[in-house]
This record gives sequence, C-alpha cells and structure tokens, in this order.
Amino acid sequence: MAGVLVVCEHLSGGFADITFEMLGLASSLQVGEVSAVAFGSMADRSGELGAASTVISAGCSDDFNPEEYAAAAKSAVETTSPDLVLVASTSMGYDIANPLAATLGIPLIAYCTGIEPEEGAFVCTSSLYGGKMGVTSTVPGPAVVMMLSGAHNADDGRIEGSPGVSDLGAVDTPGRVRFKQLIEPDQGDVDITQSGVLVAIGRGIGGKDDIEVAEELADLLDADMACSRPLVDAGWMPKSRQVGKSGMRVKPSLYIALGISGAPEHIEGMKDSATIIAINSDENAPIFDVADYGMAEDLFDVCEELIEELE
Amino acid sequence: MRFAVLLKWVPDLVEDLEVDDEGTGVDTEDLKFKLNEFDDHALEQALLLAGEGDEVVALTLEGDGAEKMLCTAIAKGASRGIRLTGGSSLDTAGLADSFSQALGADTYDLILTGVQSVDDRDGQLGPVLAARMGLPCVSVVSEVGLEGSTAMVAKEYSGGMVAEFEVDLPAVLGIQAASEAPRYAPVSRVRQVQQTVDLEEFAVSGTGASSGSSITGMAQPESGGGAKMLTGLDELVEVLNGLGVT
Amino acid sequence: MFSEQERLAFVALAVVCGALAWPGFSRIFRIVLRGGAAKRTDRLVSRILTAAFDVLLQRTVFRTRPIVSILHAFIFFGFSFYLLVNLSDLAEAFVGDWVTIGRGGLFGAFNLLADLFSVLVIFGMASMLIRRFALKPKAFEFNDNVLLHPKVSAGAIRRDSLVVGLFIILHVGSRWVGTALRMAQSGQTDPWLPTASLLVPLFADWGPDAIESGVHLTWWLAIGLIVAFIPYFPRSKHIHLMVAPINLVFARSSHIGALDAVNDTASPGARGVLDLSWPQLIDPYACIMCTRCHEVCPAHDSGTPLSPSALEINKRYLINEGSGPLAAGQDVGLLGSAISSEAVWACTTCHACVSVCPVGNEPMRDIVDLRRSMVFDSEVPDELAETLRSLDEQGNSLGESNRRRSRWTKGLGMEIKDARKEAVDLLWFVGDYASFNQSCTGTTRKVAEVLGAAGVDFGIIKRGERSAGNDVRRVGEEGLFESLAEQNIALLEECEFNRIITTDPHTYNTLKNEYPKLGGDYDVVHYSTLLLELLDSGAIVLSGRLEGSATFHDPCYLGRYNGIFDAPRRVIERCGLELIEMPRNRESSFCCGAGGGQIWLNDHDDMTQRPSEMRIEEALSVGVSRFLVACPKDMTMYSDAVKTGGHEDDIAVEDIIDLVAAVIETREGGE
Repeated sequence: MAGVLVVCEHLSGGFADITFEMLGLASSLQVGEVSAVAFGSMADRSGELGAASTVISAGCSDDFNPEEYAAAAKSAVETTSPDLVLVASTSMGYDIANPLAATLGIPLIAYCTGIEPEEGAFVCTSSLYGGKMGVTSTVPGPAVVMMLSGAHNADDGRIEGSPGVSDLGAVDTPGRVRFKQLIEPDQGDVDITQSGVLVAIGRGIGGKDDIEVAEELADLLDADMACSRPLVDAGWMPKSRQVGKSGMRVKPSLYIALGISGAPEHIEGMKDSATIIAINSDENAPIFDVADYGMAEDLFDVCEELIEELE
Repeated sequence: MRFAVLLKWVPDLVEDLEVDDEGTGVDTEDLKFKLNEFDDHALEQALLLAGEGDEVVALTLEGDGAEKMLCTAIAKGASRGIRLTGGSSLDTAGLADSFSQALGADTYDLILTGVQSVDDRDGQLGPVLAARMGLPCVSVVSEVGLEGSTAMVAKEYSGGMVAEFEVDLPAVLGIQAASEAPRYAPVSRVRQVQQTVDLEEFAVSGTGASSGSSITGMAQPESGGGAKMLTGLDELVEVLNGLGVT
Repeated sequence: MFSEQERLAFVALAVVCGALAWPGFSRIFRIVLRGGAAKRTDRLVSRILTAAFDVLLQRTVFRTRPIVSILHAFIFFGFSFYLLVNLSDLAEAFVGDWVTIGRGGLFGAFNLLADLFSVLVIFGMASMLIRRFALKPKAFEFNDNVLLHPKVSAGAIRRDSLVVGLFIILHVGSRWVGTALRMAQSGQTDPWLPTASLLVPLFADWGPDAIESGVHLTWWLAIGLIVAFIPYFPRSKHIHLMVAPINLVFARSSHIGALDAVNDTASPGARGVLDLSWPQLIDPYACIMCTRCHEVCPAHDSGTPLSPSALEINKRYLINEGSGPLAAGQDVGLLGSAISSEAVWACTTCHACVSVCPVGNEPMRDIVDLRRSMVFDSEVPDELAETLRSLDEQGNSLGESNRRRSRWTKGLGMEIKDARKEAVDLLWFVGDYASFNQSCTGTTRKVAEVLGAAGVDFGIIKRGERSAGNDVRRVGEEGLFESLAEQNIALLEECEFNRIITTDPHTYNTLKNEYPKLGGDYDVVHYSTLLLELLDSGAIVLSGRLEGSATFHDPCYLGRYNGIFDAPRRVIERCGLELIEMPRNRESSFCCGAGGGQIWLNDHDDMTQRPSEMRIEEALSVGVSRFLVACPKDMTMYSDAVKTGGHEDDIAVEDIIDLVAAVIETREGGE
C-alpha cells in the first residue's frame, strides 16, 4: 500500500500544530492514502484527524517515551507500508524518525520545509546551516521526512472527520528508557507568551553588560525581554525568557529581534508575532526573511540612538 | 565509567556561505570550520559527569580539524582522543557507521554527542547511532545525572516543557546544552597537548553506509525576503510610532 | 666615659639582636632564591652604578609627590649620613678618647652635617607621620572591595608606620639631644652644631650626674635602639631602606613593552608565591607602602577591587607569615590571599603603577603571571572566554568572519594594494578594531585616503591578517598569542615590504617589541610618526590651518610603553591647533580603561565611573572642546564616554588623522 503516514505529535493532551501541518501537506501531495498514527489515548480523538483516511491507534502510554514511540511508529509503518513517513522535526520527532529510518533501513531527510513528489521519488527542501542554505534532496520512497514546524499552514490539516481507526495493539519494548515526570516551564517573573511587546536578544549581543542596553530599550518601550537559546546556555538569561523550539512560542504584537541571526529553531518560536523588527549587522541573516522590517546595522548604535530618541 | 564524546567539524556560520560550482554543496574553499557547538556541550557534560577514575574519550573522524578538536578536548580534561581513519562518508549514516565500529571496539557506559549539527541533512547522529548499536537513546537533553547503572536525563520539549527520563546504561544521549557553559580551552594547554600527547587511531572498514538520498540542489534563501529594510533611525522611529509603541 | 659593663652590655645586645635578626634575613634570602628565573644579573657594574645614581639623586622618588619627596629626601640623606654618625658614636664608646665635639676641620663639617640632618630627619619624619595620621590623605585608603591581608585590615600598616616613624625620631632625636647634653657637660657650645647648641640652655639647671645619665641614656636610645631594632627589620616595612636600592640594582633592563617569556610551559604563570620570578619576590620588601601605584591606577581610581599597592603589601605579609615553609619550598597560593581573582581581571596593564614606583616594583607583572596560570586552568570570565575563542577561531576579537577584514576598503575611491600580491614600501597592519569596529572604520578609511594623497606606496594584507595579539598576551593567553604571532609572521614572510605601519599602539607594541623574539623582526612605525615624517618631507602639503585648541590623550602603549610623545603633538600643532595639556599627560597619562583585555571584559559591578569618563572630564577641566586620540581603541572608548557622560555637546573626540584629512591638499583637487 502506497501513501503517506503521518506520525502525530501531541503534548499536554492535544495534538501539536505540526501534526496538522503534516496532515495538510500529506493530503496536498496526492500520493495515495493518508494515514496517521496516534499514540495512547490520543487515538480516541481521531475525529480531529479528519485529513487522514485511517488513524492507527498505537497502544502506548500518553507520555512520550523514545523507545516505545519509535517502536510503535515502526510497527505502524510495517502495517501500512507507506511511501512517505512524515515525522515532526521536533524534540520528540528526533527520537522517533531516526531510529525508525535506521531500523527499517530506509532514507531520512531532516529539517524539511517542502516536499514535491517526482516519479516515485520525493524532492525535499531542507533548511540547513542555521537557515542560511536551502538544500534540495531527491529521495526515493519509502522514506522518512522530518518536517520543520511553521513551513505549512496547520489549518489546512485541521479537518474534522471520522477516519477509520485500526488498533496496532501494544508494542513490546525492552523498557530501557522510563518516563519519570513532565516539568512545566518555570514562568519566572514574566510569562513572555503573554507579552504585548518583546525585545529579544541573540548571540549578536556581545556580553552580559551589553544586555543592559537592550533592557533599557525594553523599559522605554514597555516591553519584556526575551532571548534566543545561546544566551540561556551561556547562563546570561533565564530559561523562562527563551523563545524557540525548546523555549517559548510567542505571539506578541511587536517582536524586536536584536542580534538574532534567525536559526529555524528560533524562528519557530516567534514567527507568529504580528510585527517583527530585526536589527542585525549581518545583512544576510535569515531573520530578515521572516521580519517585517529590518535594519542591517550595529545593534548597539541603533539601540543607543533609539534610547536617546525615546528619552 | 567510560564516557565517549563524538565530535564533528562543521562550517562556522559566522561566515558567508556560498554554493559550490556543482550547485550541490557548500563552497568549502577558504571556509572556516569549527567544532559543532552542540558537541562542545556534549563534551562539557561528559567532563562534568566524569569523576575520579572515570575516562572521557573523544572521538572524531580524521581530516581537517581532527587534531585540533581532539587536543582541545584533552586540554579541557578528556583522557584520550581517537581519530577514526578510512570512514566512508560524512553524512549521518556514514558517521554512525564509523562511530559504531570504533565504539564497538571498546565498552562505553555513556555516549554523548551534540543533539544536531548544522549540516546533518539525513538525520541526527545520536539516535541513528543508537539504533545501529542497539542502545537506548534520548535526544535534546539539557541535564544528565548518573545513578548507578542508570542516567536521569531531562529532555526539552517545545514551550519550555521538560520531561525527565531514566535510562539504562549504556546509552546514547543527544546533548542540547550542558548544565554549565562549555569551559574555555586555553591555547597554551592545547599546544602543550599537541606536543606531548599521542592521539590514537582507529581504522574503520568501509561498509558503504549511505544516506540513501542525494543532494540535487543548494541555494541561499532569498535574502531580506520579507523584511522592508530600513536605513537610519528616523525610519525606525517612524515604524515604531506607526505601531503605537513609542 | 663608658664603663666596661656598658660596653659588654652593648656587645651582648648586638650579639643577641644579630642572632634574632639573622633567621629573618636568611629566610627572605632563601625565599627569593626559590623564585623563578629572571635575567637580571647581567652587566652588574652598570646596574649598580645606575641604581646608585638613581638612589643618590632620588630620581625615582621625585617622579611624583614633590613635597613628600623632599621630606623623603631629608630622611634618606639624613639616614645615609647617620651611618657615619652611628660609627662615630660607636667609636666614642669603644675607642679611647674619640670625640668630635669641639673640634674643627673635617670634624666640624661632620658635626655640622650631623646637626642639620638630625633636624631635617626629625622634621621630615614628623611631617610624614602628621601626613599619615592627621591629614590622612585619600591616597592611603583602599577601596572597600580590595582584598587585604587580615593583618593589614587589622591596622598593621598604620602600626608599622607608627613604629618605624617613632623609631626614627627617637633614634635621631636622642642623638641630637645627646649632643646638646655633651655640650652642656663640657659647658661649651660648638658653632658647628648650631641647632643642638640651641638646646644646651635647657640643661642649664641640671647637675653633673643628671647630665652624665642623660648622655648615657641618649647614647643608648640612639645606638642601642638601632641594634635592638634590627630583628624588627625583616618583619616590617623598614627593610625598605635596605632592599629598595637592591631592587633598583636588579630592575628590568629589557624593554618594558615585551612581557617576559613563560618560565615553565607545563605550568605557566604564577599560582603561588614561589611561581613568581625572584625579582618579583624582592618587590614586597622594597615597598614602603607609599601607595603611589594605586593613586595612578585606573582600576583603583574607578572603584574596582584592584590596588597594585595592596598586592605588594599583601604579598609581604603573606610571605612573612608563611616564611618557614616557603623557605623550605612549600608554596603558598596568591589568589584569594594576595589578590582577588576579580582584581586580577580589573588590570588594564597600563603600566602606570610600574612606571611610578620609586623602588622598581612591578605589580602589573604579577597580575599578568596570575592571569597566565588562571587562563591555563580555564578560570576565565565568560565574556573573555568568548572573545578568546573568537580570536582563536576567527583571528579577531569581534566575532566577525575574518574574511570580512578588508570590508572597510569598500567604496574607497582608491584601490589598496594587497601586500601578499605585490611589493609595497609600507605594509599596513590594520588590526582588529580599525578593521571591524564601526566607530573606527571611518578613521581607518581616512588614514588610507591621506596615505594615498601623500603618494605613499602602501598595502594591506587583505586576507589572513590576524589580531597581533598584544592584549591576548596581556590577558595571559600565552599559547594563543604565540599562535596568532606565528600565523602573522608566516603571512608577513610572504610579503615584500620595507616597513610596517599601524594605527593601533597595542599592535605597534607587540610587533615592535615582542615579535622579534618569535622570529619576526620588523621595522615598525606608528602612523603618528609616519604622518610627521610625511609632513616634514613635504609629501603631505597642508592647504590651511585649523583654528582653536585641543588636548591630546597619550595612549599607554604609545607613550608610556614606547616613548612616542612628540610625534602626535607635532602633527596636531602642524595642523594649526593649539595644544592644551591635561594635568596627566605624557608618562603620567591616564589609561582609557581598555587595555590589557579590559575592552573585552565587562565593567566590574563596583565601578563608580569609567576611567574614560574621568578622562573626558579632565579634558573639559582644561577648557578644550576637541579631544584628540591616536589609537583606534581610544576612539571607541572616548566616543562612548562622551555619550555616556552626557558631554556630546561639550567635546568632540577626533583622531589626529581627522585633522590632517581636514587640511591636506589633495593632488587631484589641489588646483
């Protein structure tokens, strides 16, 4: 049986947007039947997966487990024999797609933003090198493709329906990885997902001291501070301020990105902001692709002048 | 305990990347490479976990940067450095093949590598390697603690959510961030290591592992695509005024 | 006059005190011998002569604090002469009928000098004590955050100063009064003892026995006291008077712009006291705690926890406290006991502390050694680690792709030669800040334009130039410095040129003074010198003169380190501006706060005012509205300081090239 199998991702009791993005994409490819594998009790909500004609219910725990979910996905692939398996390019997806492709011995394409079917093969575009290069790969089916969030419209796949549900049964795993607990984000002092205006800083900010300039600007704009991952890793900003794949997903009315180059992981967390202004000295920075307004100048000069102007 | 850390040499993104003449690769002439920053975190995490009597072994493929990466790792505190020779390809499938051979030649309790790299088009090394070696794996890990023959790891999800897992050792971890920022490797020490330490070599036998796909095109995304570029502060202030935030 | 018992008592006292003092002196000697190697014993005769000259003329003392230096000269000359006086007094006790009072000729001259010096020493010492204890000048205070040895915090400096001061007054005073008593005894005053003679009437009512007792008492207070005091010397700052001249004998004779090579590459720099080179172990004993060094220190002045003076003082207490184990080779750590790690990272390596020190101490060298060991153990502030990584990976400190190094040349109306491709007369080593920093590239372009207009045959290394590494070396990253230097030297080997020019004094310093040891011996010229040369030779023709006045800031690495003070000044004057000096100029110039890696480090939290902001205020105090610099880092620092200090309307920061560019007659546009 040809077709596309979408590996559904869920978190906190709901399907993630990327699930619907993949379902929408799967339908649009028109390479056969679209099926979806849903884990644990999520299969009970197959009505939300109307874009798929079949929902495979994988009898897993509701909480993600790398070993268990990868085994279930493999079993689902073996059941449906799809030409194309779509997995989210997310934290969970990494631990499903890779073992899946490796154990099945089929190719895998990561960080994909678009797929075109072409004579039994798929032409996939991946965003690599921190978003600085779009790489096109041609891969024969069956293949696993990991889809980056935000490349497609989730609403295209958000279709109510009543797909057939087939039960995969329990998967057998060695149980070497055991889920312990889910830790909700520490909101810190501010919940940046609720902020109206965010001043976000990235690696382009030189040192800890320079953060003060950005903070001053944020104060004047009545904005909250946010940042990209490297600043959290360096211990310069609290985790609660991190925007991006492993951080918060924010939708402020204005997002000012200072010294952020715009790696896909970051863009994923802020692309839905109403207006984005990016200031970065590198005129080729990918952040300018998603920004509404850009300034290719030294961020300190701009900030200092702007602070002066606002004062 | 013996820790393995897998290191990869990748283009430095501070550089302007250009497409090569074939149009299917990055032009590497004069291009500066560096250690994959996630691998640097993996190394740091291993060094933080290693106690008295533990061994941290750094492995990488031969080629430019191999000596520098391994000597830097030793300068930071790794016990040994192994250079893999004769690996077939540099994609994730090839890397996993080479590393699995070298790792299989010895016993390791924990294998750490960066969660991803800027050019791992055919998948993330950690889970691919784990699948090949039949080991459990958790990716996107930002905290690791050892308890006997298990590791407690924190895996990051989106939205700042974190899941905690208990993993039986031996295992593979894809490290997102070490619990502390990677330490600085003084060049003074690296140079001393270069002069005094003999790096080990491991010959990989080619098994023809491949990604199963081919690159057919490469292009820089349209630069400045969406953004209206502003020149000068006045224009910026005007935009801010228009948005009503000033 | 002196009884046998008295003589025996004196000999006994001398023997006991000698025995008590010996272990102290011997330990210091053994500890110094355990210090690391240093080349300071060459040309010994010339060293001794130079030191003697400096000491006798008090040359190093008179560099600053003129009034205090005069007081010091009184004490110094008085004490030196007192060596003779003490001998004479001993002779009086031990040599039959030795007497100087009442004799003319040579004895008269001796008496006159002894008499006058007695008064001068007492006056000098009393004034010093009044200064320290009553006037309490701010210079003696340490910032609250400076790490002090517990004994120092408990007031050891004041106690030691008081003990030494009172000892001197008592010693000299007793001798002076004793002279008067002798005259009272003989009933005759001596015209060669004018001041002591004034005291004689005081003893008019004294009976012969009282006077006789007084003579003995004052002799013992003068000569006995000095013997009794000897064991105190090795435990107190008073050892200064013996060690300071010795320290000057072993002073650095190599160029101050070149740091010493690392002694032990397997463990570079200094963790413990004994890791320091032996001259650095003499330093604390030469120190009299005058604190001149922290008075001129930009780090201390700006409120950070660094005091070079505290470092030397702590070192002495630390060494004395651990002297037994240290003499046996058991090391004592410096970090956290002699200096805090945050203080180590506050130093700008401006060299002011070393240059000002009257006894040749080099606290800055200790700091660099501490940095070397800290860097080797990865104990580096985060932001510095980030910069060093960038320097290692990219070859520049700004985290830029090194391929963009010559981007500043874009849009210049001239083609700049690539020195790797064609021979040039002058190879311009542009440097990091001048190449990348946005506040500097405008200046860099002007330099290119002026050189072009002057018809200079010059070129740059368009690809591959790396940071010269001056400040990399000064943050203690010896390995990275060597690596950068090796790469630059390899590049320069490929090029054909006569001289190297650079606008950056830091680059200038290391290329000129440090590269030769690594095999890169070049003729290096700073652009200020070159501009003057071009003006003198007529290659640069000025079409007019600027109006008004300006002040000039001497960059540390140009002025203090390399003695180039006049070239930039003459360029400024040639352009027509009247030069008004700031109070701190030339050798005493005040650092902008960027050197020694500070430009890469965050300001310390305790910083009250940036050195650069203080400097701008200093410039404003002399009433100028133009602040001239000759260093790209100064341009960055002072442009910022003018903004942050809110003086944008009061003063403009300009590079000397701005002046030349404003009045140069260009060949094309000349007519």
